[in-house]
Amino acid sequence: MTASLFLRQLAREARGSRGRLAFFAACLGVGVAAVVAVGGFSSAVDSGIRRQARSLLAADVSVESLQPIPATLDAALRDLPGVARVDVTELITVVSAPPAADGSPGRSQLVELKAVDPGYPFYGALETDPPLPLAGLLGTDGVVVAPELLPRLGLARGGTLSIGGQPFRITATLLAEPDRIAGSFSLGPRILVGRAGLARTPLTGFGSRVTRKALLKLPGAPDSARLTAVATRLKEALGHPAEIRVETATDAQPALRRAVARVDRFLGLVALLSLLVGGVGISQTVRAWIASRLDSIAILRCLGMRPREVLALYLGQTALLAAAGSLAGAAAGLLILATVPRLFADMIPGGGVDAWQPLAALRGVGLGVGVALLFSVAPLAGVRRVPPARVLRRDAEPLPPSRGVRLLAAVLLLAGTVAVAAVQARSLLLGSLFAGGLVAAAGALSLAALALLAAASRVPRSRVPFQVRSALAALGRPGAGTAGSVVAIGLGLLVVVALALVQGQLARDLAAELPRNAPTAFLLDVQPDQWDGIRRLLAREGATRIDSVPVVMARLTAVDGRDAETLAASLTGETAERRRWALTREQRLTYMDGLPPDNRVVAGRLWKDPDPEVSEVSVEERFARENLGVGVGSHLDFDVQGVPLRLKVTSLRTVDWRTFGINFFFVVEPGVLDAAPQTRLAAARLPRGKEDAVQDLLAKSWPNVSVIRTREILEKIAGVIDRLAGAVNALGGFTVLAGLAILAGAVSAGTARRAREVALLKTLGVTRAGVAGMLALEYLLVGLAAGLVGTAGGALLSWAVVRHGFDVPWAPSAAVIAAGPLVAALLTAGAGLAASVPALRRRPLETLRAE
Amino acid sequence: MSDLLSLRSATKRLPSGPRLLTILDRVDLTIAEGELVAILGPSGSGKSTLLGLMAGLDRPTDGEVWLDGEPLHALSEDELALLRRRKVGFVFQSFQLLPNLTARENVLLPLELGDLPDAAGRADALLAAVGLSDRGHHYPVQLSGGEQQRVALARAFGPRPRLLLADEPTGNLDGATGAAVLDLLESLRREAGTTLVLVTHDPALADRATRRVRLRDGRVESDTGAPAA
Repeated sequence: MTASLFLRQLAREARGSRGRLAFFAACLGVGVAAVVAVGGFSSAVDSGIRRQARSLLAADVSVESLQPIPATLDAALRDLPGVARVDVTELITVVSAPPAADGSPGRSQLVELKAVDPGYPFYGALETDPPLPLAGLLGTDGVVVAPELLPRLGLARGGTLSIGGQPFRITATLLAEPDRIAGSFSLGPRILVGRAGLARTPLTGFGSRVTRKALLKLPGAPDSARLTAVATRLKEALGHPAEIRVETATDAQPALRRAVARVDRFLGLVALLSLLVGGVGISQTVRAWIASRLDSIAILRCLGMRPREVLALYLGQTALLAAAGSLAGAAAGLLILATVPRLFADMIPGGGVDAWQPLAALRGVGLGVGVALLFSVAPLAGVRRVPPARVLRRDAEPLPPSRGVRLLAAVLLLAGTVAVAAVQARSLLLGSLFAGGLVAAAGALSLAALALLAAASRVPRSRVPFQVRSALAALGRPGAGTAGSVVAIGLGLLVVVALALVQGQLARDLAAELPRNAPTAFLLDVQPDQWDGIRRLLAREGATRIDSVPVVMARLTAVDGRDAETLAASLTGETAERRRWALTREQRLTYMDGLPPDNRVVAGRLWKDPDPEVSEVSVEERFARENLGVGVGSHLDFDVQGVPLRLKVTSLRTVDWRTFGINFFFVVEPGVLDAAPQTRLAAARLPRGKEDAVQDLLAKSWPNVSVIRTREILEKIAGVIDRLAGAVNALGGFTVLAGLAILAGAVSAGTARRAREVALLKTLGVTRAGVAGMLALEYLLVGLAAGLVGTAGGALLSWAVVRHGFDVPWAPSAAVIAAGPLVAALLTAGAGLAASVPALRRRPLETLRAE
Repeated sequence: MSDLLSLRSATKRLPSGPRLLTILDRVDLTIAEGELVAILGPSGSGKSTLLGLMAGLDRPTDGEVWLDGEPLHALSEDELALLRRRKVGFVFQSFQLLPNLTARENVLLPLELGDLPDAAGRADALLAAVGLSDRGHHYPVQLSGGEQQRVALARAFGPRPRLLLADEPTGNLDGATGAAVLDLLESLRREAGTTLVLVTHDPALADRATRRVRLRDGRVESDTGAPAA
């Protein structure tokens, strides 16, 4: 066959296939759109971060620490000629307006304060109104504030602001900072002062949480190798302390980029799932299509077309359909990319997503065509086996493919699934696991199908009405294709149920309101001698549930005798970073006699060690187990501001963090830390509407105390999670669509073959309603079997995702689980009947004569 | 006259449930170039199976089938396809036109497959010869039974096959239409000098044949009108 004839024949074969094309495109397009949207979104975010890496860091290299930056850095920098340095200090504090004329305190507000040296920033633009040089705006008593702060405090530019008890003049408003992702999570409005100005206040004194950064600019235009080399050298010079972080513009925002990569991986696999579910639909469509073309194939063979030419023709046709469907899907994906990310715009550096992601689109089309061909191989292989003698004997069915061909098709499908999953997850292991899970699910579904068939053939048929008998017989009849339908419908349902359960649980967890009596404000950095006054003030203003605990800052030096730094450095694996952080962070210890009600001792006993010499500590169970790797009987060595302290873990306890009460990982028995330097952490439930007034009063008398209002923060967190849940929801919707398409496809693939049966039954005198009833019952049974197994599989999958992916206890919705099988049964019956309408309508003779 | 087709002890068995059913039982038959052979016999006597073997659509379980010097029983599927392309034409009771192709494209396809020169001109000439010049752009479903069978005739004669096999070509047509189709078939055959083997129940059709082979239970029961060897 010449190439031009091949192409002509392709075009001819495509005629009258609008319905098939639409279905094919729907199956494939949905999945491809999801893959493209997810992939494009994360790569847009990633390239945005990379593009703005230097300005996000505002420097080439940044050295960051919660402690003052050691002088060794200066020495190290002297060896690097031409390196410029500016220092930045960041902290959270409360600022207030001056007292009113009648002496009542001015309004106050929690802010994020950044103090900078002249010369900041090295890269990126700091935008102020008026646009004047920053050094001039700040000086020693100037402050640049976020515009939203002014109305909140009732101030205007030129007014005076009290920071840490010192007056500052508002010289400008802050429109944009280079090293700050617009709209990202913040505790309050941002304000900017000079470091000289900050030095006038007591805010960097004892007990405050202050982040210090040295920003460095290298001479010339350093490439990433040079940046890495410098960073390595600085780390060596500083002696690799765990509490100092050295970052370069190359690895800008590693945490954010990792988070994006993780979300990309999870959503990417969900998207792939909808693509693969679409693949099952395609397999069904191709099977039905080939079945309807057997006569044409026999004629082509009869006219002298070789088997491989016929195969090429139908493979080419499938590839064309796949390309068309994938292109449509990719276009839809890009469209989604252009519209949906507006929701996320403020989380993305640079504010927007570049919707034109040709690589993601190409990848989506590639995956789409690949999946379509993978799932078509088995049904297409049948084309080669159509006997040309079928033109003479209508009953000459295609020979079943040989065992070798079937094995090859299965191996190809499995290898292909692993390959696309590995491509999508960018990990062979994850891809294999994913494919393994799918194979297990398909296997379980096949077993369920076989069980159903066995059960159907065992039901004693003599006792049941004719319709039931006929439906049961149809299920068990050889070649009924029941197993295939159960697997296809079940897989679709599995995904839908799993997503519905996961989403439902996330939504409920989010919606779970704060307990009615949760504190609405936390007070940080309260000095012990200030507490009495503050407590009286809170009580006078009507606050309830006033509570306060001592806080002692300490460092963990050893775990069961092993040096904590060495231990941290030796950690590897996925959780290494979290555990390293847990080992080296500044630990907050508290001490108390009895535990708060939201704590429960799950191992050991509280303060019951027989040895009076032992100092006891109770550790939060998961922190102990997962981060420190300790249990009851372990020893922890702390450095409490210069004083060594050895504590024995005598109990582990769980904490219900959702009560938002004051809780600590470490609770020490009373009497051990009483004399240590300490501050207090307080919480109170402020009367609604009085929060501003109380905050203002506190700021006036105790400017060092920071007030954190939980209600606002929680609302912010909920907002972010809401948008993420929206994305997961949208993807879930995609998969539901794909699942429904498959359901319809699986059912109608079977019904075409049933036309003759329907005609025969009608000839034998069964009414149309009677035939419809039999078909409905049969499809109900198929749907029910698929529904039961699919729902069980979906529940299992959601358990895995919820428990291991999101790390929360699994509490599935009974409604979803109950609805799964029912909906599957009803939908299957509905789709089956709808697909049978033409056959039911036709007069039987027409059908039989056409045979 | 030289031999075009010869079956030697051709046997065909097909599985029917657990048993093997013998459809054709050691059939010996030789057909010479230019003959018009009618194969007769009751339902189930093996007529269509015999036709399938002659065309290389099917392979004998035992025995040999030779067409124009080529051993059909020993050729691969590909070789059989190429042979059909060049040498064999078909006409069926149920027309067997490709539903996705127009009448003209149906006629054109075997010419294109055989990569014959001026396929388009030849297809038009053939359509004109069967009196369907103005219906070439219609799809089979838009044509009457008689018209469909005329398209099938045009398609079958297109590549000038050495052998034309017809399976109850008038079986689905009323008497007058059937007669018209037969007239057309004969005139095309005469013009091209094609050897024609047709399977039929129709005595009128059988009467037009120069030779009548009667089958019963998979064996040749009688063979009348064979040219003297």
